[in-house]
Amino acid sequence: MMRFTREASGNVSGQFFPVEIDLLRLAVSQLIDLLDAAASHALGASADPAVRRLLPDAYREDAEAAAEFRRFTADGLIDRKEANARAVLASLGEEEYPGDADERDAAEHDADEREDEPGASVGADGPEDLPPVTVLLDDAAVQSWLRTLTDLRLTLAERLEITPDGVQHLSGEEAPFLANVYEWLGMVQESLVHAIDV
Amino acid sequence: MSLPAPLPDLRDAPLLERPWVTIVWDDPVNLMSYVAYVFRSYFGVSAEQAERLMLQVHNNGRAVVATGNREEMERHVEAMHDYGLWATLARAEE
Repeated sequence: MMRFTREASGNVSGQFFPVEIDLLRLAVSQLIDLLDAAASHALGASADPAVRRLLPDAYREDAEAAAEFRRFTADGLIDRKEANARAVLASLGEEEYPGDADERDAAEHDADEREDEPGASVGADGPEDLPPVTVLLDDAAVQSWLRTLTDLRLTLAERLEITPDGVQHLSGEEAPFLANVYEWLGMVQESLVHAIDV
Repeated sequence: MSLPAPLPDLRDAPLLERPWVTIVWDDPVNLMSYVAYVFRSYFGVSAEQAERLMLQVHNNGRAVVATGNREEMERHVEAMHDYGLWATLARAEE
């Protein structure tokens, strides 16, 4: 499915199921937490490999120059990444299901039940009985989305222990879910790039 | 009467030293379409040139995407980090 399309107005609109909106909110909120934590020790390279990938060394063979570059740029980079993430959250709208509280509870109850079904997964093939929501992005929001989707995928790739050959090494219970989210974010980004790539 | 032409600013001209380059490195995460988009929209190169640079990154593991003075290359590297691309700067090779 082509998720994003360019409107005549120049804005880009995207269709998301409510569970996908919730998933994006969760992922973006966690990215903001990660960036907040990184901001507190931005003067040195972080021990977290995800943060090191978000703020890589600018010089490969000159540690002193790399540290100097980091000193002058890390705060700004983190601020801008966080501003982009917050812009994405804002474009996702209020954190409420449409309708009143009873309907919302019912929707959450349905979602709980679905999670117990075999084969239920989050992402493009996720629960689809709530109607999709339209997300409308102007040029600035598109730029925030492109960068935040990238930052999310870079972070997830570190968590999944994806090596330069593209192979994932993380195993264990949470690995399939994280891998699904990673793939799904890639599809969302691909669709967004194609929508603006004319 | 014509005014004398302003002197060129020699501080930024890499006459006596090797220039610097911005290098973008391959990573297993970034989408090929996105990398090409970044090259086109940030560096203002044609779609063909952006595609060629992206494939160079993908196939050779790296590509030089800009050449110039050090400050300029640092600005490009910072911008690439904004986009989530893995970029470094270094002195141009002989």
